[in-house]
Amino acid sequence: MLAETYKRRDVTTVVPAAEQAVPRFFASNLSRSAQFLAILAQFALIVVAIHTWQLETQVLDRLMWLALVGFVIHHFLPPRFRLPFFAMLSLLAVITALGHLGPNVGVAWLTGKITTSGLLYQLVPGLAVIGIGLGLIGICHLPSRFGARVGLLAVAGAGLAFLRAHSQWFPDVTEMWVVLGSMFMFRLISYLYDLRHQTAPFSPSRAISYFFLLPNVCFPLFPVVDYKTFCSTYYNEDWPRVYQTGLKWMFRGVFQLLLYRIVYEYAPLDVSKLTSALDAAGFMLGMFLLYLRVSGTFHLIVGLLHMFGFNLPETHHLYYLATSFTDFWRRINIYWKDFVMKLFFYPTHFKLRKMGTLWAMSVATMVTFLATWLLHSWQWFWIRGKLLFDWKDFSFWMILAVLVLVTAIYETTHGRRRALTPSHFTVRARLMFGLQASAVFCGMCILWAYWSCQSWAEFESLMDAASKPSWREIAIIFGVLALVCVCGMLWGQSSRETSEGRGTQASGAPFHFWRSTAAVTVGAICLVAGPSVATWTLPGTKELIGRLHGDVLNAHDLALQRRGYYEELDLGRMDDWRCHDAQEPEGWNAGRKMFYRQRSDFLMKEIVPSVSTVLGGTAVTSNRLGMRDREYQKLKPPNTYRIVLLGVSHDVGTGVKEDQTYENLVEDRLNRHYPDTHYARYEILNMSTGGDCVLQMLLRLERIGFDLQPDAAMMSVAAVDQQFLVEHLRKCLTREIEPPQSYREFLDGIYKKAGVNGQMPDAAIERRLVPYVSEIQEWVFRRFAQQCTQRGVHSVLIYRPAPMDFRGVEPACRRETVRLARAAGLEVIDLSPAFDSVADRNRLIVAKWDEHTNELGHRLLADKLYEGLVPLLFPVSSIQPVSHFQTP
Amino acid sequence: MNPEDIKSAVKKFILNEYLPGEDPAALTDTTPLVTTGILDSIAVLKVVSFLENQFDILIQPHEAVVENLNTLSDIERFVAAKKA
Repeated sequence: MLAETYKRRDVTTVVPAAEQAVPRFFASNLSRSAQFLAILAQFALIVVAIHTWQLETQVLDRLMWLALVGFVIHHFLPPRFRLPFFAMLSLLAVITALGHLGPNVGVAWLTGKITTSGLLYQLVPGLAVIGIGLGLIGICHLPSRFGARVGLLAVAGAGLAFLRAHSQWFPDVTEMWVVLGSMFMFRLISYLYDLRHQTAPFSPSRAISYFFLLPNVCFPLFPVVDYKTFCSTYYNEDWPRVYQTGLKWMFRGVFQLLLYRIVYEYAPLDVSKLTSALDAAGFMLGMFLLYLRVSGTFHLIVGLLHMFGFNLPETHHLYYLATSFTDFWRRINIYWKDFVMKLFFYPTHFKLRKMGTLWAMSVATMVTFLATWLLHSWQWFWIRGKLLFDWKDFSFWMILAVLVLVTAIYETTHGRRRALTPSHFTVRARLMFGLQASAVFCGMCILWAYWSCQSWAEFESLMDAASKPSWREIAIIFGVLALVCVCGMLWGQSSRETSEGRGTQASGAPFHFWRSTAAVTVGAICLVAGPSVATWTLPGTKELIGRLHGDVLNAHDLALQRRGYYEELDLGRMDDWRCHDAQEPEGWNAGRKMFYRQRSDFLMKEIVPSVSTVLGGTAVTSNRLGMRDREYQKLKPPNTYRIVLLGVSHDVGTGVKEDQTYENLVEDRLNRHYPDTHYARYEILNMSTGGDCVLQMLLRLERIGFDLQPDAAMMSVAAVDQQFLVEHLRKCLTREIEPPQSYREFLDGIYKKAGVNGQMPDAAIERRLVPYVSEIQEWVFRRFAQQCTQRGVHSVLIYRPAPMDFRGVEPACRRETVRLARAAGLEVIDLSPAFDSVADRNRLIVAKWDEHTNELGHRLLADKLYEGLVPLLFPVSSIQPVSHFQTP
Repeated sequence: MNPEDIKSAVKKFILNEYLPGEDPAALTDTTPLVTTGILDSIAVLKVVSFLENQFDILIQPHEAVVENLNTLSDIERFVAAKKA
């Protein structure tokens, strides 16, 4: 039944004329051989570029190598074997990717490190996807009425959705649901549509190839490829043109993914940190540009499919230069637009056309966008495991629907400028295109920012930041819009708006193989060799390139795990989807509530004394004094040099064992080497508490720490910890927690200057407090120095580097912190160089979902701290007694 | 109806509605209309209405696709098939 008769000869042909021209490679056709070698070289370069930049996941890296080998075999196969081969290759990719099977697993099995049953167990998720998928395809072709088949599929789909919602019942195959959903949630509808209307040919190879499309296993967000187009574009042009177009698009995809990383790393994407209208504009622009990831992956996917003969059309077409909201809808995710047009817009419009064109169009447009919203929620469900019914998403789609409708009605009633060739447009017309492109770009930036904000309050805060622009900021914003205008003048005239059709290019458009080859080759070589050349010639670029390598969450996202619809559906940052589904493994921080307890005063929280639990995936125990540390006497024993350490969760040692924390490593070393013979014992009491800001550290020292009779007090500060400060003050304001009497005057002054009060939205309070962080730190450091001096305690500030400098704030922040500390009279130990020897900073964090400093990081910090601490606290030779500290 | 008559009527409609001022000779039988954006989704609806009224045919939603409407030749072939 699968090979049902393809009735409509006028629509598509699957064995096109171009295939007749498939070359005989072993014949003496030098030109064709040269073309193939050039294509192979470019493909290899792109695979190496993806590997070098660690784009997306390790699974993609493996898949690209598999695709490269598969491409060569596929190309040399006789035409009739190609599609079955592609189908088999796709199935192999599903099994290997979901089973995390790489060459190392094969070697391990061969050498006996993995048992055969262990190896077979790893095949289960992939085989499950294939089994369920084949079952669904089989239902489509059952020998029964079409309606019955659809009904059966609906029942099967409901059953699978139920199981997806309870994926925890099958822990061994959790990650298969994402892939299964991604493959079938939309394509099954497209397939049924074409099956119903018999607009394309059907066969087992085509069905398997279509549903299990090779790159799908790496990309849950996948373009909705139209089945008819999938069939009709297969080798519909000469192979050099098909392959070369694919390479061009893959390169474009890689380039866009790298651009995305730059935006992601450097754009101001944290509303709470926006301090000016320019920042707000940067946020809006950045959020809109983050979509580059989607278009980049789609280009990469469709480009890769070209390498196997699928001459699919463009998925995105210069969408940042759309000249109207309707035009934007036509250019962004063209496959999706065509999918919903075919399923919802046209049927609704055709049913209602007796009402009149405008009414029919209006209703059809609203129905289409409503369906888009629902289907996006459906997509969210399959990828994330729960439905997304959020007023923000709904309002985003409805606002976009109204904007599209208004421009569509305008175009219907007033017409739209069209020309047979772009050169027919006058300068005035082009200027209009440019201005329209700027206006639409600006509007979409705002709308996208609205969609991406977590809450209405956050959006209000964004508008608040944008509300008082300076003339300079206005000039810069207009400069950017002018640039968009110029690009719109040059390229704003749309030349493509549909994913359907026979080819990717207008028929007869000139194609310059070697010119395209040269461009892709040079571009790919630049991507592969660029980092090495740049760091060699311009050492300053090392940090930039380092940050663009690998794929990790930035600090803000790591904290929030919330970045807008597409960003949150990006599972690429996780090694596997199992990790993402849980975000952090169950029980990773199970003991947080047991380990910390809330306080009603300015300290807000404290560690519960004498408890054992799990924090950061590691067992933690608190001592009787309420510290994550060894047991100490409250009263300092004789001949003991005692240091108290004030810090945050990194200093607590979240994610490492008690004996691995840097303070305990230093303590052990001091007790081994006795740098000062006056003391028989050295103690470092770790008073650090997760999430403490410098104000809490200071108060903790004043209220608790000084009672412990320390000889020295160390305050550990890091760049990213500044966020704790504004969060703490915001909580105090909104919860009406009074600061200590001696802090009140200063903090009231800060609140007044910042113009904040407890009734304001959280994001607005934090954003307005950010400019005063340095002033608060300065006050804290001065008071810290003063309080310690009064008690004869040595005050030391430790600047502790974060394992990963996500936002590139470390150097500036370090400079400022160290400057303020020294100005306040504090001794400073700068631990920044501790991590210099580690090129891959991923090696310094506990886990991908937990950025706390790991064991290696603590060891390096301990080395650096010991190196700085001993000459500072014990400057005189150990033979001579030390006199300037409090004598035990 | 003569195929040339169909093409001629459709060409006249497209030139009047969407390409005013363009050289009629530049719009050939094989000029892509949908894939180049000359006929967008809204214009397609108008073309469909025109074809239905002009040639007294009924077009289904799934027939309003690029394969049937991309060029004058495609349109002529489609109309001829519908009338047959």
